[in-house]
Amino acid sequence: MAVTTAPLPAPPIPPMPPPLPRPKAYDDTFFKPISIWLTTTDHKLIGIMYMVTGMLSFVVGGIFALVIRLQLAQPNGKIVDAETYNQLISAHGVTMIFFFVTIFLTGIANYMVPIMIGARDMAFPRVNLLGFWLVPVSIILYYSGFFTGGALDAGWTGYAPLTEKAYQSHSLGVDFWALSLIVWAISGIMASTNFLTTIVALRAPGMKLTRLPLFVWAQISTSILLLVVGAPLAAAMILLEFDRQFGTQFFTTQGRPVLYQHLFWFFGHPEVYIMILPGFGMISEIIPVFARKPIFGYMSMVMALFGIVFLSMTVWAHHMFTVGMNTYVEGFFMLMTMLIAVPTGIKFFNWIATAWWGSIEFTVPMKFVFGFMATFLIGGLTGIYLASVPVDTQLHQSYYVVAHLHYVLFGGSVFTIFAGIYYWFPKITGRKLNRTLGEWHFWTTFIGFNGTFLIMHTLGLEGMPRRIAIYTNVAWATTNLIITVSSFLIAFSVLLFLINIARSWHGGEIAGNDPWGANTLEWATTSPPPPYNFERVPPVRSFMPLRDLRDSGEFVDPEPIPQPA
Amino acid sequence: MAARARATFTTIGLGAAALALSSCGGIGGISPIFPTPVSPNGQDIYNLYLLISIPAIIIFVGVEGALLWVVLRYRRSRQPAGYVPPQIHGNTTLEIVWTLVPLAIVLAIVVVSFITLQKDFQPVANAQMNVTVSGHQFGWIYTYDNGVVVDQEGTLAGDVTPFVVPVNTLIKLRFQGTDVIHSWWVPAISGKTDAVPGYDNFSWMKINQVGEWRGECAELCGAGHSTMQIIVQAMDQTDYDQWMQTQLAKQHAPSPQPSPSPSPSASPTPS
Repeated sequence: MAVTTAPLPAPPIPPMPPPLPRPKAYDDTFFKPISIWLTTTDHKLIGIMYMVTGMLSFVVGGIFALVIRLQLAQPNGKIVDAETYNQLISAHGVTMIFFFVTIFLTGIANYMVPIMIGARDMAFPRVNLLGFWLVPVSIILYYSGFFTGGALDAGWTGYAPLTEKAYQSHSLGVDFWALSLIVWAISGIMASTNFLTTIVALRAPGMKLTRLPLFVWAQISTSILLLVVGAPLAAAMILLEFDRQFGTQFFTTQGRPVLYQHLFWFFGHPEVYIMILPGFGMISEIIPVFARKPIFGYMSMVMALFGIVFLSMTVWAHHMFTVGMNTYVEGFFMLMTMLIAVPTGIKFFNWIATAWWGSIEFTVPMKFVFGFMATFLIGGLTGIYLASVPVDTQLHQSYYVVAHLHYVLFGGSVFTIFAGIYYWFPKITGRKLNRTLGEWHFWTTFIGFNGTFLIMHTLGLEGMPRRIAIYTNVAWATTNLIITVSSFLIAFSVLLFLINIARSWHGGEIAGNDPWGANTLEWATTSPPPPYNFERVPPVRSFMPLRDLRDSGEFVDPEPIPQPA
Repeated sequence: MAARARATFTTIGLGAAALALSSCGGIGGISPIFPTPVSPNGQDIYNLYLLISIPAIIIFVGVEGALLWVVLRYRRSRQPAGYVPPQIHGNTTLEIVWTLVPLAIVLAIVVVSFITLQKDFQPVANAQMNVTVSGHQFGWIYTYDNGVVVDQEGTLAGDVTPFVVPVNTLIKLRFQGTDVIHSWWVPAISGKTDAVPGYDNFSWMKINQVGEWRGECAELCGAGHSTMQIIVQAMDQTDYDQWMQTQLAKQHAPSPQPSPSPSPSASPTPS
């Protein structure tokens, strides 16, 4: 056919889309105008603010601890008077538990969870913003107490009726503490709702629930816990405020002081798990990467998490074995408390099995992981003694408990936090932390920590109650002096850590996108990640998506990070 | 080379930590166990503590040993070049074993503890003597059956008025709080019992030897918390009777009142 058709005009070339903004270099991630920090809804920047707030609280709480240790360094200590001492121990507990560990862990999850599941941001970015800014409000409220004649001085648990108007009329410290915790609980509930929604709704294609990184599973468990127990805490504080300001008699000498303990510990014990489960999640992320083996028993790890979530809400009265409950009730709480050892044991054995036959690179995060396992084990075992009601009546409220809780919260939470920082710092800043300083930091922490808290067990066994401002028994003098000296070694280790952060932030070794050869999605983007996290979300085929891509040769490193000027 | 140096460093560090752990029983003034108990309920707690220590120490040594083995044996520098670890995702049998074995251990501990709990933590019905212990800011007041009162007002020096009891006598203690919560604790006798405002708590003791035992309030109760020292002084029956006569005489001198029997009463009180 001779019919010729005019050649179709070439389709117009669509205009080039504007190039995506380059991933941010380290410098323009952090040095932003203050207005951006104040108004950002980016989960990464909010996460950083959470973490910085937490770290500042860690330093402040640590300074309180050092003053406490100076006071106890020798019998008849005269550094501070009993009034001030009681404020210091309360401030140490409140700062470390509410403003350091929980806040820092929320921050690290805020940064990592959306990236790990391949999301662009949290589900409710503005709720995230509000939730974060309630934290400084809470902190300022608490510390305001110091300017009204004295902050809370009844311990971080604030047992009524000691916190009631009849015994605390000279200051507003208790009121500020109660208001602070109400705000804190609201902030925590907001964050938890946000995490759960994000993880349920915003997962990348292919990221089935059975492929979630274990850190994300841990964050689900933590969020459920905080969602359930945040409200009872706020309720206890509201009732206490009614007692103090409106003359009700809920927890007064005429009321039911033990009811306060029930409400507080229904929050307080799960709070322990709120502070440790994210740490468990980090351990489960870090061991497989450095041992070059997949996590052992993924499903049993997830089930163990939920076992802990359930059991942790049925054990609160083990803090109250000396108040005189029915022995069958005490038996129930003893049984449930002991049962928690089972899921925790499963996690421990699975971690060891993951490392077994591995090819382990003992980087600083891995050292902290093993430091965590070595110390947390001691906290777990002393927990068995404390769970046994008869033995607990001896150990309760003694230095044995102080040692136990620090093995769980310092040997547990703080070691995992350090492991997490050394592991994820390269992702957040694009630079690695200095390894030599990191090794020094680990060993001074490990030795200082055990020097401080190991012999504390014996003080409790010999009869030294916790929260006494002054002791007169000279037999306890040497032990207390050793503890004080060791506590300053911890302070030195934290100083090394802060120096490391400050130095590496500016001049650390450039990390690249995936310095560890990791398994999860946060390492599939640039370091630091762009505001939208991924240009293209990688396909997810197992719970180790990045490793799958590396093994099949599909992975293309996102564009190289800009070199610093 | 650097890896080897690090390995040595790690080994030394962990060795030092292990040494510190194992030596904590040997240094003077650092006791790994409660003071020698002088009352049967304290003895039961002591025995329970030792019993729990058996599985606890085995687990401690086993798990720390496994960790140490992993640290020393499976580090990359000890593995052959190009070693690729076996990609194991789990082992159902193993996982069931390390679920059930710890379960069995903790259940055994629960049963043993519960037996002690039922035995020693019920209000006793056959007490030979009753004392009401009342905690206040800051001190303890002991009221005997016959109305004699020992006022143990707190002092920091620890030279508080002793709470005097006869040896080998089953004494029922009733605890009351009048202001905030206090907790009565003498480690050599038994565990602590809270003195809570609003209801009575009970404990008991039967001290088996003459002597003096110290303790203090274990529940933060205000600025004077550390002054709430406790001294329990156990006397044999004749000394105790004599002491009681003196107390009665002292008490009757200012305000005479009908005197109940000076000897310890055997009548149980309703609880």
